[in-house]
Amino acid sequence: MNTMFQLVWEATQQTIVMVFLSTIFSLILGFPIGVLLHVTGSEEHGGILPHPAFYAVMSRIVNILRSFPFLILMIVLMPLSRLIIGTSIGTMATVIPLSIAAAPFVARVIESSLKEVDPGVVQAAKAMGSTNWQIIVKVLIPEALPSLVSGVTLTIINLIGYSAMAGAIGGGGLGDLAIRYGYQRFRPSYMVAAVVIIIVMVELIQFIGDRISGHLISRR
Amino acid sequence: MQITLKNLKRNYASLHAVDGVSLDIPSNTVYGIIGRSGAGKSTLVRLISMLEKPDQGEVYYGDKRVDNLPKDELIQERRKIGMIFQNFNLFASRNAEENIAYPMEICHMDKEHIKKRTEELLALVGLEGRGKAPVSTLSGGQKQRVAIARALAVEPQILFCDEATSALDPQTTRAILALIKEIQKKMNLTVVMITHQMEVVRDACDRVAVLDAGKIVEEGIVSDIFERPQSPVTKEFISALTTVHDSVVRWSEDGGHYTLRFRGTKTGDPIISSVTLKTGAVFNIRAAGVQEVDGTEIGVMITDIGPDKQIAAEAIKALRNEGVVVEETEEGF
Repeated sequence: MNTMFQLVWEATQQTIVMVFLSTIFSLILGFPIGVLLHVTGSEEHGGILPHPAFYAVMSRIVNILRSFPFLILMIVLMPLSRLIIGTSIGTMATVIPLSIAAAPFVARVIESSLKEVDPGVVQAAKAMGSTNWQIIVKVLIPEALPSLVSGVTLTIINLIGYSAMAGAIGGGGLGDLAIRYGYQRFRPSYMVAAVVIIIVMVELIQFIGDRISGHLISRR
Repeated sequence: MQITLKNLKRNYASLHAVDGVSLDIPSNTVYGIIGRSGAGKSTLVRLISMLEKPDQGEVYYGDKRVDNLPKDELIQERRKIGMIFQNFNLFASRNAEENIAYPMEICHMDKEHIKKRTEELLALVGLEGRGKAPVSTLSGGQKQRVAIARALAVEPQILFCDEATSALDPQTTRAILALIKEIQKKMNLTVVMITHQMEVVRDACDRVAVLDAGKIVEEGIVSDIFERPQSPVTKEFISALTTVHDSVVRWSEDGGHYTLRFRGTKTGDPIISSVTLKTGAVFNIRAAGVQEVDGTEIGVMITDIGPDKQIAAEAIKALRNEGVVVEETEEGF
């Protein structure tokens, strides 16, 4: 029992690290792309620097990346993991494909959050002589913040799901535990433990995300 | 600051939103631009306020041409004007005082100055002590007050009001208009007020331009326009006002072929009776009342004149001789 507890605990830690790091990296990659998509989008949707050609190309790339099944993306990106981390197996190696898989999702989530900002408010900011950078940093992002928080919550939950899938091809974490012990060694208790912990994690993240977003809205 | 527009044109696809507008908006006045929806008002205000570039024509603030500025100069010039909107357009993520601080923040003014100025502005618009209030807790009128304070933060010489009272109830509208007039005098502002409400023009403006289908169809001092409206659009605006305004009472829904307007002292003379005695005409009065326009009383009467066309024509002639403006309304009111 002691060893099971230890194994489950280790796997949980791995999952947390994986999800945490890949959330950070996918935000670093996806956030600027989301902002770019929004500002270069059409004027009716609040684009402040409309650029249809750029938008079309960017949007297409994001769509292609999003439609890749995650498992295949992971296999395709194995050489990249090997190049950066030195290995294509294990927790750290999984962070790379996780981040890249989540980045286009993040970009879309950010874009749609920014789209919700009242175009009239953006027009007012423009009329007052804001630079585009000031509009993004001082108007768009703060105005969209509650919605952005919900978007990040959604991303984290998605990444918890992806990280479990990554276990199937040697990614480590709870998914890996469930497959190797629960499935391959016929130990249902491991399977149950992994699934329960994942459910608890998802619930917890959703709860915290809702609270933060709700708090931001209540202050308005 | 004086604003001059020279032959402004702006098209959207095949639509001439603004079609050759030339105007001189004198310094230190409240200048109304009125038009129905779709007349090109919104486009015109976007052109005058440098939010959009015209396809043709020029915009001058004082002697400076502003419609063709490069981006950096454009941003600097925009920081010298104030603008308020129909939907207030306040930042939901900021409270009242942070909203007012925004235009100063983007000009990188120092924090102490911003704080001091914000307090002054809150007092100016009558919202002392409400600085920390989240925007959502303010009423429509209070929101517009915050927006006015925000617009005045950088001490502009020009204030654009884009349908600024259209979302407010009549009482709040009057209060906001009074505030704008008061501030205009205090700061010697040039206020450009875009509206579709004739009562806004009547209550707040010194001069007015009437916009229809992208063109200016009438322009002048407000009381003159009210007394002798020339274009059908203007007449329509004024008559719409007559039926809704409290002091004009209508007691019959149908009829009323003629609209008579009396100016100033004429409202005290028994003109109708004397015309009746002189010509034998009979008046069937459908609505009547007095409106005050910019300190001048203008009497309005909507009436039918009988008993026949010939006598009616004589009566109209007699009325016009007395200085009454007589208009024939096509299908009643």
